[in-house]
Amino acid sequence: MRITILNSPQSITKMFTKPPKLRIRTPSSTTVEFTLSNAPPPTLPHTLLTHFTSLLRLILAATTLLLLLTKFQPPPYSSSIHPLIHPILATFSRFSTSLQWRHLLPASAVLLYVLLFIGGYTEESLVVIRDLGVQITTKTGWSTRSRFIPTERVSDMWICEGFRGFEVRFYLAVVVEGEEGLVVVFPTLLPGRRVLELVWRGARRCLHEPKHIGDGVER
Amino acid sequence: MLQSGGVESHMYQLATKLIDRGHKVIIITHSYKTRHGVRYLTNGLKVYYVPFFVIYRESTLPTVFSFFPIFRNILIREKIDIVHGHASLSSLCHEAILHARTMGLRTCFTDHSLFGFADAASILTNKLLKFTLSDVDHVICVSHTCKENTVLRAALDPSMVSVIPNAVVAENFKPDPTAASKSHITIVVISRLFYNKGTDLLVAAIPRICELHPSVHFIIAGSGPKAIDLEQMLEKHMLQDRVQMLGPVRHEEVRDVMVRGHIYLHPSLTEAFGTVLVEAASCGLYVVCTRVGGIPEVLPSHMTVFSRPEEDDLVSATSRAIKEIRMGRVKTEKFHEQVKSMYSWTDVAERTERVYEGICTGERVGLMERLKRYYGCGIWAGKLFVLCVVVDSLILVLLEFLFPQSGIDTARSWPTKAPRMTDGGGRRDRSKRRGSNVEAVVEEDLNGVREN
Repeated sequence: MRITILNSPQSITKMFTKPPKLRIRTPSSTTVEFTLSNAPPPTLPHTLLTHFTSLLRLILAATTLLLLLTKFQPPPYSSSIHPLIHPILATFSRFSTSLQWRHLLPASAVLLYVLLFIGGYTEESLVVIRDLGVQITTKTGWSTRSRFIPTERVSDMWICEGFRGFEVRFYLAVVVEGEEGLVVVFPTLLPGRRVLELVWRGARRCLHEPKHIGDGVER
Repeated sequence: MLQSGGVESHMYQLATKLIDRGHKVIIITHSYKTRHGVRYLTNGLKVYYVPFFVIYRESTLPTVFSFFPIFRNILIREKIDIVHGHASLSSLCHEAILHARTMGLRTCFTDHSLFGFADAASILTNKLLKFTLSDVDHVICVSHTCKENTVLRAALDPSMVSVIPNAVVAENFKPDPTAASKSHITIVVISRLFYNKGTDLLVAAIPRICELHPSVHFIIAGSGPKAIDLEQMLEKHMLQDRVQMLGPVRHEEVRDVMVRGHIYLHPSLTEAFGTVLVEAASCGLYVVCTRVGGIPEVLPSHMTVFSRPEEDDLVSATSRAIKEIRMGRVKTEKFHEQVKSMYSWTDVAERTERVYEGICTGERVGLMERLKRYYGCGIWAGKLFVLCVVVDSLILVLLEFLFPQSGIDTARSWPTKAPRMTDGGGRRDRSKRRGSNVEAVVEEDLNGVREN
């Protein structure tokens, strides 16, 4: 198993997060996995910190939701509610009634968005397995999207350039037979040219190398 | 369409030849309906079709600066040294030159057209031209007439204006003596059918020429708003069997149309250069044209019959040409070789290269000097221009902060072939180029020019 770690150039959109790092794993001679991630290395303090911040985010998000709920429907202050929860609910209710809808609504929307969707780590990976196919995965925050393309439908892999916002960026794309568009690898992180060239070489070598040295036939 | 591709093919040919000479050239233009993004053409010529007009179409002032971020990104990633703008009507070209100057790059401008001074549209265009050209390193014009026109319009120092004519790819315009009719004389007209191309003169002259010379036939190719006038004329005089209207013709097919004729008639009212005349002569056609603009500079006198831009003179000039052809006094079969030796893109590229070398050795001007130049443009315009330049400089500072130069990936250049052993001059130049790392951008607005 071989592991390489590489930095890729940072763009302005990723100013507040760490630059993505590339890890290359070769579990077997016919498989390569390229993982690009802006998450910190998996050491114990980092892992603890990550879990702690996610917990804090969840609590804060829940609080915001509760605030909205109590504003929307002030709870009945009867004794049927557990005596421990009652004072908390009462405080919330008092606080939410003192706020106005036009302040509360936008503020909580922004807060929820920031808490749930911003600042999460993004991890994107490309797994190439010879004779089987190519898998492209994007993990952002809570969602995971992945797509598998069987080898016989992969006609080529390209590094292209395209306009994105105010920039021209490089991207690695898989050309799929019978499809109009290209399938972009690392679509969110969009690493720089050096990283892409490394991935491109490795992936193509893994896909197209002759099966045995004696064969001499490249597919 | 024939003339439509004038500027476009000029850029393509020039860029290809410059790449052959060891430069790196990219073209920046705005996107078409069918084409946007980054494309490669023959020879590794890279074209950026910038998709920005779609977003900021509504207002004019933001457009002056909205192009800057993407333009700066492209210039940095391609490591550009010289920005060369084409076509004076496009705002993209003017903006590009302004931004390039703000970034401290060398700039060059090629003017392809002639303009008047009197009407409102011309005054506005001239003001815009003056704005751009007050701070440009060098200006290239396609003919001496064009140079005079540009110098007057933009109040330039004539010493910073060079004349480099267009050229033709002579191989694409070979004569074919078998294609033309032996029994009658055919006159070919290929132009866009617009007022400034002299279609009205054509409408008036064709019936008279047909009456005077019963064996003369016409072939007219091209389309435009004046096509309807021509058709009405044909119906009125019942000339349908003698005048053939082909409609729009692609640039590749122009040669096949030309070789079917003996005489090429060009009744244009204004023309900066007239590449089509060179193409016609290269196809072995005797050329009848109006003495306007840069046309008299284009061809030697034994290939042309000139007329004044009026009906009577055009008819008599055409009659003279028909007579000369009938008597066999014109050696049209030699035209091709002569034109080939006169006009070549390699020559144009060499001369352009000399201009580039000249502007690279010139001293760099600071912001204050630039502002002084712009301020001198006019009472109100001067202040407006200065404001624009100051805002542009501030935007540059902001961009340096937001998109630092170190964060922009540089593009790989197209792998160049090993230097050819045959052309010694080119080889020497190539090594020199490598050292000084000069590259050029040809940039232009192709809007409305491309129509097939």
